[in-house]
Amino acid sequence: MAGPLDDSDTRNAVQAALGAEHAAVWSCGLASAYLAPGDQGTLSESALAHRERRDSLVALCEAGEVAPVAAAAAYATPRPVNDAASAAALLVVAEDDCAVAWRAVLERTDDAGLRKSGVAAVVSSATVGVRWRQVSGTQPVVPTFPGTR
Amino acid sequence: MSTPSPSRRSVLRATAGLVLTGTALTAAAACGNADQGPDELEAPLAAARADAALATVAGQVFPDLTARVTPVAQARRAHADALAAEVRRARPDRADAVDAPVTPPRPPASSAAAASALRTSLVAARDAGSDLAVRTARYRSGLMASVAAACAGYAEVLG
Repeated sequence: MAGPLDDSDTRNAVQAALGAEHAAVWSCGLASAYLAPGDQGTLSESALAHRERRDSLVALCEAGEVAPVAAAAAYATPRPVNDAASAAALLVVAEDDCAVAWRAVLERTDDAGLRKSGVAAVVSSATVGVRWRQVSGTQPVVPTFPGTR
Repeated sequence: MSTPSPSRRSVLRATAGLVLTGTALTAAAACGNADQGPDELEAPLAAARADAALATVAGQVFPDLTARVTPVAQARRAHADALAAEVRRARPDRADAVDAPVTPPRPPASSAAAASALRTSLVAARDAGSDLAVRTARYRSGLMASVAAACAGYAEVLG
């Protein structure tokens, strides 16, 4: 039976989404040291969602006999992270990267399970992104077309 | 994308109707889509236009809402433009439906009612858009997910 990763275009998009999820998990860990106590609940929920998406992508790769891309030991942040605002700004970048990567997956697969994961990921990125944009002072708080650069 | 050639019966029907309805039917017959019904993007297009109109009215009538709903009006107008462009491209025979005027909404009774009505509508657009993004063609899936995600974000802002 044909698997969702048989096509190299789909496979590359899935690996890029996995890379973005790895980076998001790492970013959530770093941000937890700086965000205010009132935002820690939202952050841990979001971190859990990213870990679940990462794990399901790893499982998908393994089922398709594709070696999943590994997480980096650390990531270079676009700007120094040293307070709540800069931590939230990092999360905005991480969420936007996930939305872009998952949108690319959506346009490269007909697999219903992968489509559902992708839609949920893009929606979740824009939803939690509102809070991180507010904390970091990023406008607008909702991108008009999430997942687009 | 393949364009099915019209059956003999549909050609006959189109020819018969041509006298009555003129150019609109010519376009439909030429395209061979006359029997397909509405494009699946017409519902999200109508929802985007209705939200834009509601957000615009709410922002005009309730100054305390203006700052929150003006970006919603702009975003939903942009969504409508993108969806309309795709329907026009894929289904020239549906131009009349795409260009149908929007009925202006009645202003809600209060600022709270306006915010609540808009939020409810955005949540519905998020859910319907998410469903459509799962089952539609690949090239439309990204656009639909993006529209659904923006609606989710603005529902959060109004929540």
